[in-house]
Amino acid sequence: MTRAGAVARHLIATPAARTLGPFVPIVAAWAMVVELGVFPRAFFPGPLEVVRAFGDLVYKGILPAYLQDSVTRLAVGAAAGIALGVPFGLLVGLHAASYRFFWPIVIFFQAIGDIAWLPILLIWFGFTLTTMTFVIVYTVIFPVIFNTALGVRTIAPDMVRAAQSLGAGSHRILWEVLVPGALPNIITGLRNGLGYGWRALIAAEIIVGTSGIGFMMFDARRAGSVVEMILGMIVLGILWYVVDAGIVAPLERATIERWGLTKREA
Amino acid sequence: MDADALSRPGRTAQRVGGALGAAAWFVAPFVTLVLAWAGAVWLFDVPVRVFPSPADVAGAFVQQVDSGVLGNHVWQSVRRVFVGGSLAMLTSIPLGVAISTNRAVSGFFTPVLRFFSVLAGIAWIPLATLWFGYGFGAITFIVFNAVFFVVVYNTILGVNRIPGVLRDAALSLGAGRWQVLTEVLLPGALPNIVTGIRTGMGFAWRGLIAAEIIATNAGLGYMVFLARDFYRTEVIVLGMIMIGAIWVAIDRLVLAPIERRTIERWGLTRRTA
Repeated sequence: MTRAGAVARHLIATPAARTLGPFVPIVAAWAMVVELGVFPRAFFPGPLEVVRAFGDLVYKGILPAYLQDSVTRLAVGAAAGIALGVPFGLLVGLHAASYRFFWPIVIFFQAIGDIAWLPILLIWFGFTLTTMTFVIVYTVIFPVIFNTALGVRTIAPDMVRAAQSLGAGSHRILWEVLVPGALPNIITGLRNGLGYGWRALIAAEIIVGTSGIGFMMFDARRAGSVVEMILGMIVLGILWYVVDAGIVAPLERATIERWGLTKREA
Repeated sequence: MDADALSRPGRTAQRVGGALGAAAWFVAPFVTLVLAWAGAVWLFDVPVRVFPSPADVAGAFVQQVDSGVLGNHVWQSVRRVFVGGSLAMLTSIPLGVAISTNRAVSGFFTPVLRFFSVLAGIAWIPLATLWFGYGFGAITFIVFNAVFFVVVYNTILGVNRIPGVLRDAALSLGAGRWQVLTEVLLPGALPNIVTGIRTGMGFAWRGLIAAEIIATNAGLGYMVFLARDFYRTEVIVLGMIMIGAIWVAIDRLVLAPIERRTIERWGLTRRTA
């Protein structure tokens, strides 16, 4: 084995190369299809044009500003969703009567779906930030409630009894048995909620349309600029990849390894 | 999971009684909710332009059913989900299995598929409307897209999770490639495939509503957004209830039982959500 070969193999083995590598031939194929002129260029621009549009929008400061808007909205939505969803999920999961009463309602409101709320929110709040925040919080909160309740309810009763017989008060049982035990599910719920919330945010930005990546894409649609639409999609994809693979998935793995009773693959 | 999943098949009478009890427990919260809603609207004298009373919504329901408008919107939405979803399943499952039979190929495609399943649905709306025009094509494309990538990704995940021993055992017992495919790989991956379908359909339903708001002149999404222009909140709320009820019906009555049964029948591990 030559030295160069070993180095190349070492490079291929890095996670970054393994993740990014497959995109190289795909981008190359994309460029080739564009060069061959299979589709009209105005409908289907090439990678170079998208890169140029990226440089242009970054230079003008539009892309960073919109990106910041979208990410801030998502972060606020996630924070509010956790702050409200976890306590409510604990209540629903721990209190049998609340569970029976609220469970069908939680399922139903989860099913109505974020975007269906937009029309009435627009009547109440108009085309404002409040409307968008409401949609994201709403979308994040239900999967968190759902999974928190599920997590609490799947903790083995023996764990609680063991803690009780060792003399733990209800306060300590809550903080040292129930919450840690439900943590893997809570994180999974957060991950699902963010996945839905993310899409809801794009839809809200398209429809409410004041700023953000979704707005940028739909604005480009109006102007017929396919380049900016594709750029928007790539930015969304990368951003979500970073959030999911870089923050949420490791968090989930860490909590499941630390606290989880069962392993879950995803 | 649900209360009904816990009960073991017993005597018929007991089961019927249990089912009735479960139904009552399912309905009771909604009755309370509607009463609270009616009470709040009456107590605070909320104008219909802000929020309708249950009676307003019921009136809107009767009126929209009578004129056939509601039926048409529901039909349009369900048809799009059905066509887009079926096309996606017919293409994505074979593709997923084909990709996953080779480790190198599946390793290559997994990041790409993850990238596209992240983009699934709503992010395609601007481009889809440009490529297909406003209407059936663009919306079906979005539904297709939302289901396709998620199912391919989950199919690959499912096939890769099958222990190599099972494949080897089938091979050493003299199974051909085709038999391994139909009797080991497909059944083994089925729980993941079904979970993928359920997730994908969830994204598709939401994507559909968003797409209908933006890109068409029929369907439930269009109905609620059109009503907004005239401040007809009773039609909006009716639309929201229909959207929720149809999804609960699809998810709880069709997808969830299929998922539960495949996991019970074929699953290696239980999944709890």
